[in-house]
Amino acid sequence: MSSDVVVDIHNVTKKFGDRTVFSDVSLQVHRSEVVAIIGPSGAGKSTLIRCVNHLNSFEHGTITVLGEEVHGTEDHKSRPSRQTLRRIRTKTGMVFQTFNLFPHLSVTENVTLAPMKVLGLPKDQARERAERLLAMVGLSHRASAYPRRLSGGEQQRVAICRALAMEPEIMLFDEPTSMLDPELVGDVLDAIRRLAQEGMTMILVTHEMMFARDVADTVLVMADGGIAEMGAARDVLSRPRTERVRVFLDRVLRHTASDVESPGTASSITPVGGSTG
Amino acid sequence: MSGLGLYTQDMLRGAVLTLELTAGGTVVSLLAGAVAAVGRMYGPKPLRALIVSYVELVRGLPAILQLFVLYFGLTQFGIDLSSLTAAFIWMCFYGTGYAIEIFRAGLSAIPEGQHEAASALGFGPITSFRRVIVPQAFTLMLPPLTNFVVLELKNTTLVYFIGVHEIMFQARLGAGNSGNPLGVYLVAAGIYVVVNVALGRAGAFLEHRAAAAH
Repeated sequence: MSSDVVVDIHNVTKKFGDRTVFSDVSLQVHRSEVVAIIGPSGAGKSTLIRCVNHLNSFEHGTITVLGEEVHGTEDHKSRPSRQTLRRIRTKTGMVFQTFNLFPHLSVTENVTLAPMKVLGLPKDQARERAERLLAMVGLSHRASAYPRRLSGGEQQRVAICRALAMEPEIMLFDEPTSMLDPELVGDVLDAIRRLAQEGMTMILVTHEMMFARDVADTVLVMADGGIAEMGAARDVLSRPRTERVRVFLDRVLRHTASDVESPGTASSITPVGGSTG
Repeated sequence: MSGLGLYTQDMLRGAVLTLELTAGGTVVSLLAGAVAAVGRMYGPKPLRALIVSYVELVRGLPAILQLFVLYFGLTQFGIDLSSLTAAFIWMCFYGTGYAIEIFRAGLSAIPEGQHEAASALGFGPITSFRRVIVPQAFTLMLPPLTNFVVLELKNTTLVYFIGVHEIMFQARLGAGNSGNPLGVYLVAAGIYVVVNVALGRAGAFLEHRAAAAH
């Protein structure tokens, strides 16, 4: 894992009207690092990740993505230009909780649209890229199908291909499996895991604690308007330092079968992907 | 029923006028409505307020009142419009008000997630509109748009009241002169039915084409 900081979130505060969602949040993401953001609902996890590609603006602080700086709206600095936003958004890929595939386009068209229209890639190259990506997630046989014919897990895997087709340097996942039936979750997590093993820099908002412990290098716990705890995935999830995080994890894990605390379970899991980067 | 032939000819001539008004009114209303709908949804606040007021005016005031103000009322300001001109202006004015709402409803029916997915992929607002939003909205708007054309068609009967020689005008004349009002009105009805069936077929064809694209 290189020390190259690709996403620098610096003292960011986000408000919706009078309500402050989180304040003074800072996070540095390094190249090939996988950061998992967990925490109770309403803590601002999704909001934070959406600030990175500016789907949400924020009031104070600075977010720098691969050298492109965006400032808080109340910091009396200029608003991000169209070009800055375009540069950020073409270098980051986002996968949404609700998939958001384009229903009027086939699977292949969904994956080739942005490379062709935003990057100007010629049609045959875009199709090649799409074919390769769909094969990687095991969906070549669905290339000409329309989204409504696909299961949730298939749609989400197509959504991952669509984001990857832009060849981003950073992938943002906003609760990618929260809307999926349990038996479909595995395929999507496998795709994400493979990406991590290939060294993709990722910020992942998730409720899948086991997966976070498996795949993430760093875990950030957001709660009560800020960061409750941040550190190495194993540490935060197995040996939380703060009561708040301990309570949260306890509540979440009470619903799952496995036991985070047991060191035996931890050692039987394959090493985290980020260390190959 | 031999006399009916003569009146039918007059009514068919009226029908040409009816169709011209309908076609012209529809085209202008849809173009102006589309532009205004975009302004209504994405424009600055004062523009939005203006368009909202306009739509409420058109939909709230009786159609005949709007028509009479235009044709009879404006003469007080020295604006003397021919009945045909006033009719056409009113149809565009009225039609645009309704078209704006159809477009607005169609566009706002597209989930926010679609806009976000397009933005996240790097699409600017115009390209995202063109490639992602409008194609989806179009399918949704086809049924109300077909209804809209029928509405415009029926509106043409109102311009009878300012002396435009469309179908109802000719029908009224024919009914009086022929001594066979029922026959005359049935022929008029027949003309409207034929046009409606044609419009219905055209609408269904477009809807099939749009659905088949998926």
